[in-house]
Amino acid sequence: MPASASDSYLNTRTTLMSSQLLDSAGVEALVDRTLDQLGRDFQLDQLVAGLPPEADLGRVLERTLIQVLMQELSVLLRPLDGPARNILIHWARKYELFNLKAIIRGKLQGLHFDLIKENLHDLPPLITLPHEQLLRTENIQELLRQLETGPYSDIARQARQVYEERNEPFSLDATLDQRYYMSLLRRVRRAQPTDRVSLHRLIGELIDQQNLNWLIRYRFNYELSASETYYLLIPFGLHLHRDQLLKLVNMDNIQQLIESLPTKLATALEGSVSPMEVEQALQTETTKQIRRCLQYEKSVVSRTFAYLVLREIDLKKLFAIIQGKALNLDQALIRTAAGAKESDLAPETTGNSDHV
Amino acid sequence: MFSPLPMKHVLLQVMTEDLPQVSLTLAELAVFSPDYRPIHDEQFPTIPGQRFREIYNQACSRLEKISKHVSLSSQIRLKTIHVISERELEKTNNWLGKVWARCSAFEETFHRLTDEEHMIQQLEEALDNFSELNLDLSLLQGEKLFLDIHVGIIPRANVTQLKEAVGLADYLIFPYMEHGENAHVIVVGPKGERQEELGSVLDTAGFNPLPIPPELHAEPEKVQSELQARRGRLAKERQKESEGMASCANELRGELELARGVLVMAEPFVRVDTAARSAGQLSIVSGWIPARDLRRTKKALGKRLKNPFHIDSRSPTAEERPLVPSYMPKNRLMAPFATLVKQYGVPRYGEVDPTLIFALSFIAMFGMMFGDVGHGLTIMAVGWLARRRLKSFTCFAVCIGISATVFGVLYGSIFGYEELFHAVWIPPLSNPLYMLSVALMWGIGFLLLITLISIYNRMVLSEFHQAIFDSNGMVSIALYLSALGGLYNLYHNGEFGLPAATVSIGALLTLFGYKLVEIKAPPGERLLVALIETFETITGYVSNTLSFLRVAAFSLNHVALAIAVFTLVEMITSAHGRVLMVVFGNIFILILEGAIVTIQALRLEYYEGFSRFYSGDGQEFKPLKLETGDNA
Repeated sequence: MPASASDSYLNTRTTLMSSQLLDSAGVEALVDRTLDQLGRDFQLDQLVAGLPPEADLGRVLERTLIQVLMQELSVLLRPLDGPARNILIHWARKYELFNLKAIIRGKLQGLHFDLIKENLHDLPPLITLPHEQLLRTENIQELLRQLETGPYSDIARQARQVYEERNEPFSLDATLDQRYYMSLLRRVRRAQPTDRVSLHRLIGELIDQQNLNWLIRYRFNYELSASETYYLLIPFGLHLHRDQLLKLVNMDNIQQLIESLPTKLATALEGSVSPMEVEQALQTETTKQIRRCLQYEKSVVSRTFAYLVLREIDLKKLFAIIQGKALNLDQALIRTAAGAKESDLAPETTGNSDHV
Repeated sequence: MFSPLPMKHVLLQVMTEDLPQVSLTLAELAVFSPDYRPIHDEQFPTIPGQRFREIYNQACSRLEKISKHVSLSSQIRLKTIHVISERELEKTNNWLGKVWARCSAFEETFHRLTDEEHMIQQLEEALDNFSELNLDLSLLQGEKLFLDIHVGIIPRANVTQLKEAVGLADYLIFPYMEHGENAHVIVVGPKGERQEELGSVLDTAGFNPLPIPPELHAEPEKVQSELQARRGRLAKERQKESEGMASCANELRGELELARGVLVMAEPFVRVDTAARSAGQLSIVSGWIPARDLRRTKKALGKRLKNPFHIDSRSPTAEERPLVPSYMPKNRLMAPFATLVKQYGVPRYGEVDPTLIFALSFIAMFGMMFGDVGHGLTIMAVGWLARRRLKSFTCFAVCIGISATVFGVLYGSIFGYEELFHAVWIPPLSNPLYMLSVALMWGIGFLLLITLISIYNRMVLSEFHQAIFDSNGMVSIALYLSALGGLYNLYHNGEFGLPAATVSIGALLTLFGYKLVEIKAPPGERLLVALIETFETITGYVSNTLSFLRVAAFSLNHVALAIAVFTLVEMITSAHGRVLMVVFGNIFILILEGAIVTIQALRLEYYEGFSRFYSGDGQEFKPLKLETGDNA
């Protein structure tokens, strides 16, 4: 397909798909719907009709929604090739990283094959690792040996060292996450010049959000040292560069941290006291910026990327709502979990986007 | 010969304890393809053998991993074929687990040895580097009163961030050498509370300490020889481990082959999977058996089962047809052509198996495009000489060689020489228009045959409407033939002719009308799509027919290439040069044009032929069998 044709195809697809994104009123409306209505609206009738036991509900639901996302991704990937395709595929690899972490944790805890397997996401062959082969390994050393022969060889070597010296999965998880974003950035650097700047901005937003969440978690929950916390961050965010991060890791509490942030982020996080509030406020701010990108950005690849990120956020909200309803939770609680209040902070919607 | 063998759906009712024996017997017969649909799942809710399957999968995985270290023979000989009990399978699995633990320990040791060798190499390079530096190494060694010093290696990509991170703990990093993906660094900072903090960051960054030998400054040769000695020790250890591995392999090979035999015999019960269901003592097994093998199967089960059993068999229903496996008995002569047909797909049950038609038309088209006695005989000779490599494709090479030879006789051509003997039929270049007409007639005949097969396939699948009205149905044939007749009249008599015009217009309108009815869309869209699809049907026939002109074009091309070679020969004055030119020119024609003609013939088969009548989405018959490697 010629570039202009593939761009038009992708642009149209993205615009059509973005009409299904939820605006604030949409989330509110979903909270008020019954479980059966939700099943019908999102083609989850079968799942809703035969809801699995409480223990399996989250997993089954999550798996179903990830499948929805992966199907949409495969449609959007069709006209793409080269760096743009690699960026979208790499973005989706985060689900494979969840799987990888689950396998490593499972092996560390000596869990049974089936128990680990149940917790893995079904992913398209494009991004999936040979799970069966990895699961059939009989100890963590064998697993790491297997990984050393695949695309995660560099991580596996480091993981082996981390495992041998610390024998705990946390550092490994953190390293995997950090590597994931660094690889994403590397791919963005190879993107077409027309896409590069906007993709940088978009991924920079995501990295800022991730960095702040990690920083708060590592420093104030896990009480890691400033130096180790900094080492686990990604110094390539949009607003938070090296200097800011070096300063922020030395803050003693969340309030101080928020006050030291660049104005834009500080305003967005104003009033947040707990890590959860910060997380929610950050999510709202990031969503707002990504919506803006989807609406006004000229780069088709960036718009598609933005759509996927927003769609993922929506599916997470849907997940929270269905799960809350299946467990008969209080409406107010479901509303909070689905971030319905975010509406006040994110007035822009993409449902009526006129950007084609 | 022209369609898959008739199949019967069977429902075996047996005692649950007999299920492993049933699976094994069916596998020995190699005529039973399991049907995994949930048949009678309410009456028979349990799927037996779940644990058996789990143990089997683990055992297979272990054996596969072990076989990377212990080579096993490709042929599996089963001394006595017997039912494998869960206990026997578990015993085998446990034993394989122990063997794998031994192999895994070897793997881990080899891994450690590689790491240590790598470390020594890094250390040697670091020491070479130190010796060139004007630096008192004693400063880096041992415990210091005020300074905390670390010398080591980290991944190069981590240096910048680590530098900034340790800066927060008041440490400094000096990278002094880079090697591959690693950087050699010295980390220095004040002793005190933050030492622990640094250790944690270094671990996370993948820091690997390099121990600096205390003698390095005073006696560098001693250090070098010590490193050499360490390297030697590692080599010896590796040698010892390799020998240990080899002797372990020799010791275990026999038993491993026995264990593999156990797994082969256990596999049929695993593969039956959800095709077997049980309710207490009673079980059912459902699947497909060729009708001709039903009696043999009953007899074999009667002999082997100790408890009574019952078989219900019936022909497949119309709805089941897409699910019925297509069983086409293997024929050595047709094997290479069957492989090429399978590249496109497996015929649906009941559909015409196109292998024979494919083989005959492919051989004929190849010969027509590549007609030359010399080239044909060469292909045959090369095919025969390379028979060990080509295996079943030897027959393919011989057949197309014969075809090229026969057409060579008809065209009067041998290695491009057309004057050595008289053409039995016609030298292609003597009348190109005649050749093109013949190719066109061949194409029309081929398309008619293919369309008739398509109609037959539709009838078999009870799709009568499509058989009559579809793009490859009876109406289309009427349109195609009447249009051809009209064009023939136009060419010879100057007018299309009323009968041909009436049939053509009638068929065209019928096609259009059918599409209008068939398409489910709003009126405007329906009209547009019907128009486009009708137009596409017409253009399809036209383009497919014209596509066959390439058969003549390549026969002309073949002669033209030979003329080109002989023109070059005439330009050469030396006799040896002329001979060489003829030889290499013919080799060139054989390789280049041979490949092109093969591809073109395949293209005509797949696109002009198969796409019209062959859905290729059938289920291949994959019976339960004992996978012994030679399928014996």
